[in-house]
This record gives sequence, structure tokens and C-alpha cells, in this order.
Amino acid sequence: MIAGIRNLNPDWGQGEDRVLIRNLSNTIVHGLLLWITCCFSLGALAQDTAAGDHVSVRWLAPEQFGQGRDTVGLYFDVDPGWHVYWRNAGDSGAAPKFDRSSASAEISEILWPFPVRLPIEHLTNLGYEGDVAYLFDVVPTSAPLKLHVNLEWLVCKVDCIPGFGTMSLERPVGDIARWSPQDLAARDRFLSRVPKNSAESPWQVDTLQRDSDQLRLTLRHHSDEYFTPHVFPLDGALLVASAPDVQRDAERITYSFALMPGAPATDSTGFVVATTSEAWQFDDIPIDGASTRNPSPKSAPAQPLWLLILAAIAGGGILNLMPCVFPVLSIKLFGLMGGRTPAPERIKTGLLYSAGVLATFALLGGLLLALRAGGAAIGWGFQLQSAPVVLALILLFWLMALSFSGVYEFGHRLMNLAGRSRGGSFATGVLAVFVAAPCTGPFMGAALGAATLLPTPSAMAIFIGLGVGLALPFALLCLFPRLLRRLPQPGPWMETLRQFLAFPLYITVIWLLWVLGRLVGEDGWLLGSLVLLAVVFALWLSQHLHRIGKLFAWLSVFVVVALGLIAADHLQGERGPAITVGNSVPRGWQPYDRPAIDAALARGQGVFIDYTAAWCITCQVNKKLVLDTDETAALFAKNNVYLVRADWTDQDPAITAALAELGRNSVPVYAWYAPGEKSPVLLPQILQASMIEALFAESSRSDNE
Amino acid sequence: MIMKNNRARHLFNIVCALMLAVPVLAMAAATPGAKAPEFSEVDAAGKTHSLENYKGRWLVLEWFNKDCPYVKKHYGSGNMQALQKKYTGQDINWLTVISSAKGKQGYLEPAQAAEVAASHNLNASAPFLLDADGSMGRAYGAKTTPHMFIINPEGLVVYAGAIDDNDSANPAVIPSSANYVAAALDASLTGGAVEVASSRAYGCSIKY
Repeated sequence: MIAGIRNLNPDWGQGEDRVLIRNLSNTIVHGLLLWITCCFSLGALAQDTAAGDHVSVRWLAPEQFGQGRDTVGLYFDVDPGWHVYWRNAGDSGAAPKFDRSSASAEISEILWPFPVRLPIEHLTNLGYEGDVAYLFDVVPTSAPLKLHVNLEWLVCKVDCIPGFGTMSLERPVGDIARWSPQDLAARDRFLSRVPKNSAESPWQVDTLQRDSDQLRLTLRHHSDEYFTPHVFPLDGALLVASAPDVQRDAERITYSFALMPGAPATDSTGFVVATTSEAWQFDDIPIDGASTRNPSPKSAPAQPLWLLILAAIAGGGILNLMPCVFPVLSIKLFGLMGGRTPAPERIKTGLLYSAGVLATFALLGGLLLALRAGGAAIGWGFQLQSAPVVLALILLFWLMALSFSGVYEFGHRLMNLAGRSRGGSFATGVLAVFVAAPCTGPFMGAALGAATLLPTPSAMAIFIGLGVGLALPFALLCLFPRLLRRLPQPGPWMETLRQFLAFPLYITVIWLLWVLGRLVGEDGWLLGSLVLLAVVFALWLSQHLHRIGKLFAWLSVFVVVALGLIAADHLQGERGPAITVGNSVPRGWQPYDRPAIDAALARGQGVFIDYTAAWCITCQVNKKLVLDTDETAALFAKNNVYLVRADWTDQDPAITAALAELGRNSVPVYAWYAPGEKSPVLLPQILQASMIEALFAESSRSDNE
Repeated sequence: MIMKNNRARHLFNIVCALMLAVPVLAMAAATPGAKAPEFSEVDAAGKTHSLENYKGRWLVLEWFNKDCPYVKKHYGSGNMQALQKKYTGQDINWLTVISSAKGKQGYLEPAQAAEVAASHNLNASAPFLLDADGSMGRAYGAKTTPHMFIINPEGLVVYAGAIDDNDSANPAVIPSSANYVAAALDASLTGGAVEVASSRAYGCSIKY
């Protein structure tokens, strides 16, 4: 009998010596008792209960076991006001320990009914107010069924009293299980409170993110029930037991748990999610956001820093050619051509311009990082998500375009901004960065994405790298007159070119009006157009009126612009977030919905996600030239691809999180999940139809092989 | 850039709120890797001890309540006294703190504390520090008895948590338990890294 003891699941890892001795002695005692029982045919066994201060323990078990699995329990009858503990006891206390063994049954791990939070003075414990039964499954392997358990528990009110006991159980095994109705009812009452498989939960995990002192669990509900469940952490060494801060919106509930001071880094952890009557257990939820974890050498990105800075400089250089930036710089350049500008003047211009670019990049980068550090879900291009800022840019580009067209000479007033005079060089730099930011160049995506994952100094280095790239071509031209001389000599062609360059600016105005429309709705178009009209009218008036009339004209423009800005702000405020997706997603494309994407992946369907935003020009170009063409649509349809358009125009935090998972924080990003693949392939930021074709060419080839 | 829209305003508020919250959080507990909170407490013999006195030396802090079953586990078995003896013998300082408020379990007047120190064979560097107002316990975020902290000569916390990995109240489990405090001290003294710097402090709640 001693040799035959099987301890399938020792909860009691430590103290093996003691346990062994106790097992041995108890087994001997038990054996003796059994012998007495057999000889004298006594009905009841000794030792089938245990008791201590404020607690008594008894079995919840059938009078006769059936052939299959059954669930038995150890019922703790606890004095009112006292409590015993859950598996994670919380800030103090200890879970009960069950050292169970049986030679005639297979036994499962302990099934812990979900707990409640017990505030004990300055601490929070996780346990049970009043009675509880700790359960486990039993499958009889021989008859009669015998169980033995060494128990240790802690019962607390404010003071705590440990208790110890040993209990045995011996029951016959028949064809069917026979329970006393009271015991079965008690067993079922606690069994219904044992957490079920997470797959059955009406709430599913959306994200689990760690930052310096918090772990944020976001649940998404899959039912109409408007109830905020309780969430209990399984790991008491990672999270404190006090109730988390809870925030909820229409679809998600976010629980912010405080981390234990100095809690170790872990890849995953578990929770129990409970209503008032039932619960579900989530084991090993991966913790996202290695990015936001305390900086550690392990979370360094794959690319070395110098390579990222190089990419940033190259990306910044390409920004010079963007339709919004090029005209501004060319006008600036005209002023320097022909070698008539004295060298000190030229160098000064170049340096001032570079300073403007770098300062603005540093400022925007710093602001972005500061907001990120504050936990805000934002990314590059965020300045274009404010309607008043967009409206102000529309106005600026409109004035510049009119000036380029020769409709109106700004003289030395606003032209300073467009950059003809020396004093405006710094301002030109600022402007160049501001308008270039949304035109994410091909090399910028990776660098910007990396920037937000890196510690602040490295991240700033990348932002400055972008600035250097943007400033470099112009600065070089200023510093090396030989380069300037290679440019064509000034002449009437400059006037023609200038007039031509007005057109990219008009296009920029139209694009920004469209962005404004996306941000605040149809009224955005009306508002923007009216402001533009007012400006042109005022220009006309001021050309035809005398001094007082001019003053009046400009005052009214000022009022109109101010009203326009206020209206834009107001409209955006009214409209609220997450506006653009639903009604404007073209057929075939689904809005971003994580569970739906997961479901598609689970079905083994290929998934293509287009991370885009209205204010991202590259995105729009790719969409028009590649993604929304009939050929591509047919190709996607033929291969049964689940198409997702993740619209980031208004900074959906779920999409920000998804981008962060991909190591990016700018758009465009094109993620392709081949059928059956869990990790995506990222496509280049400038798409070509052939790249989409290649996706399916590869997959069909590999199918054939 | 003018931050005019509501989102930007909201973010700005969050940033401000976090900046205000940081000092409060920092004061709430002794955190491994961070500076140890200041303290100044009088021991049972009337001598004042402060963190300043232990600058440049290793310091172990232990929270005590003579009636707590988990304290009894480690004192009844002689485990705690043996640790105290071993490490004070290696020129490490060890202070045992009582944060029980007057009238609560574990509270001791100075004379009683001296008696308990003698009857328990306390081998700490001083008789009990008497923190009846709980100021030191709260500054350290001490939750339980015995809650343990280790502070290095630079004044940084290198360990905070339980004495070992077995939250049983049974003294028989001590020989087979992994002692976190001894492991952290041994590793630190030989120049190694502390493997476990934080754990759930098991035991009785401190009776502030």
C-alpha cells in the first residue's frame, strides 16, 4: 500500500521530507484504522474531517463513486467574518495547500472557485467570505476508492491563524454515482463558480500591455450584456491585488493593474474574468509592448542604430521632392541662383534654413515622444489630425499658390513665409517640415517606427536624422557655390516655372480640403471653400480700394479666418473620434476589426491589411494606382483574400496598437498574411501592381511544390 | 504648434496628470533598482537609526510582529536568528522593525521590546526599531510580517519581498525552501547579479 501511493498532483512542492514522513506515518495509522474497520465492520472511517480555530473541513463526495469522472470537494466551513484564500492570496495571507494522494484513483489539479476582493485594512486579499469548497476531479481506477490529503490552511480576520489536518476518504465504486442531495447541491454550487475555458467567455482579450508601473488588460465583449466583469490576476508576484482602474467604451473595457514594485519581466500572465455567478480563466496571455517595457537590452530593434539614422537621412532627402515641399524650396533657390548673392549671405541663408528644419523636427519629435511617454496613442502626422491646423495650412498654401500664379504679389509681407527674403529662411525650414511630415517617404516608415520603440536619445537622433536629410540638399547648394553654378542661369524661364509650380500647390489645397472633409464631415468643404473665397475677395478689394477700405478688407479676412478656425475646432469636437471608417469603406474592404481578422486567419484565409489615412498622400496614390484597380480587386477575389482597410485618419487606438505590433507608427503599411500564416509580410511603402501579383505567384508556386 | 483640438487637449491633460502622479507613486514603496526611502526611527534602547547612518554599508530590513504565525515560523525554528547572525558576522547591518500601532497586535513598549528581543535571541544590529506611527513601514510599502528589504551601500533597494519561496506557516518546510534574502545577499557580496529582486511578501498584514 505504501509503495502504491500515487501522488499525481503534489500541490506541495516543498517540504518533501516532512510530507514523506507524514505520509508514511499517516499511511500506517490509516492502515491500522482500515484494519480495525474491516475487522469490526464499522461503517464510518475516522479522519474524514479536519478542524482548527474558526474552520472545520469535511468532504463533499458521493456515497458511492460511479465508473467515470466525478468532482469531489473539501468543504471549508468558516466562522462569520473570517476568510480563507484563493490560489493567489493577494497582498498577504496564503493559499491553502492540499497534498493529495490516491492509489485507487487519478486526481486532477485543484479547481479553485473564483474569489472576491477582501479589503483588509491597507491591503487587499483574494479569497472567500464565508464557506467555500476546493474541488478536484477523480477518476476511480480500482475499488474501493481511497483518497488521502494533508491539509494546511490559513484563516484570517485581521489576525491570521494557520491550521493543519489530514483527511481520508474511502467509498465504494459502483455502476453509477450516488450522492446525498445536500452534498451534491453544495458541490454544484461551488463547481459553477470554477472558471471555465476562456473560449466560452463572453469577453475576449483584446490586448495586454505593460508599461513602467501598470499592466493594462483590454477586454472586448462578444455579447450585448452591459456588465463590467471582475478580473482577478493569477500571478501575485506580478500584480498587486487591489481592484484595477476600469475604463470602458462601447466595445472595450480596460483594466489597469498596478505592477508589484520591481516585478520581474514576463512574457505572459493569466487572469480570471468573473461575473457574479460564473467565471472564465485566461492562461498565458502574451504581454505586448516590449516597446513600452522598461528599456532593456533585449528589446533593442533588429537594425543597428546607424542604419536607422542613415535611412532617416535618406528618407528626409526624398521629402524634398514631395509636391508640397518642392515648390517652396525652388522659390528659395531662385533667389540664390546666378551667383549674385554674396557668400556670407548665402551661407547664412543655408544655415538658417537648416536650423529651422532641425528645430522643427526636434520640436515635433520631442512632442511626439513626450505624448507617447504619457501613454497617448499617437503617431507621426498627428499634427494633421487637428482641423484648425489643417485649415490654417489650406490658407497658407492657397496664398502661396495665388502668389505663384501671379494673381497677387505679396511683396515682402507673406512672401517671407514662402521664403524669398533672408529673414524668412528659418521660417521656410519650419514650413518645409510641417508640410512634409504627412508625406511619409519610402525610407521614413521604418525609421519612424523604430524611433518610437527606442529610448528617447536614440529616437531623437532619428528625428534629427530626418531633419538632416531634409535640410541637406539645400544647405549643400548654399555652402558650395560650384553646385549652384551647375544649375541653369536665371532667366524668364524662372517665371514660367514658378507659375507652373503653383499647380502642385493648388493640388495640395484640394488634398487638404479633402482631409478637412474627412476630419469634420461635409461641412469641412464648405467651410474651407468659404475661407478661401473670403481671402481672394479681400485681395481683390485691397487692390481696388484706398487705405481705409484695405484695412477693412483685411480686418474682415481676419474675422473670417478666426471664425473658420473656431468652427473647424467646434465641428471636429462635435463629430468625435472614429468617424470615417464605416460608411466610406468601399465594397470588398472591411473596416479594422481584430476578432474578425483573427477569425479569418483561423479559417486559413489570406488577409491583406491596408493601414492608411486620409492625410497620407503615399497611401492615396497606392490606393488609386494599385489597390483599388480592377486587376488587383480581381486578383484578391480570385484568391479569396480577406481585405481590411485600417483607416487611421482619426487615430483609432486599436490601429495604433496594431501598427506598434508591426514595429511601425506611421502609414502606409501593407501587411500580407498568407493563408495559414500567423505572421505578416510587410510590403514596400510604394506599391506596384506586380508586388501584389507576386504574392499569389509565390503562394501558388509553393502550393504546387 | 497650436494644440487646439479636443484630443490634443485631452493628451495634454493626461501628460500633466502623469507628471503630478509620478512623485506620489515614487513615495509609495521601496522598489528594487530605486533609491531606498529615508527613515529615522528610535530603537528599543532609545538610539535613533536613519538611512543616512548606513550610507556606504549593506542594510537588511525585516518587519516583525511577535504574534504572527509566519514570524513564529521563522523565529521558532531559529531560521531568522541564524540568518541575522550569519550576515551581521559579515559586516552587514540588519534592522528589525515593528510597525504595529499602539493597541494593535504586535505593538510593544520599549521595555517589552527589549524583553522580546532577549527571549527571541534577536541577532539584529539593534534591538527592534519601534515604528508605532507606521511612517517607516508605509514609506517602504511594507505589507506583511516578515517583509524583507535589502539596501546596497549606494542606497539602492536590491531586493523587496518575502523571505523565501514557501508561504506555508509550517516551520518544517524551511530546509527545503529557497531563501530569497540569503540568495540576494550571497550574490551581491560575490559581485553577482540578484536573480530574484522582487517577490510576493507572504505573511500577516502589518497592523498599522
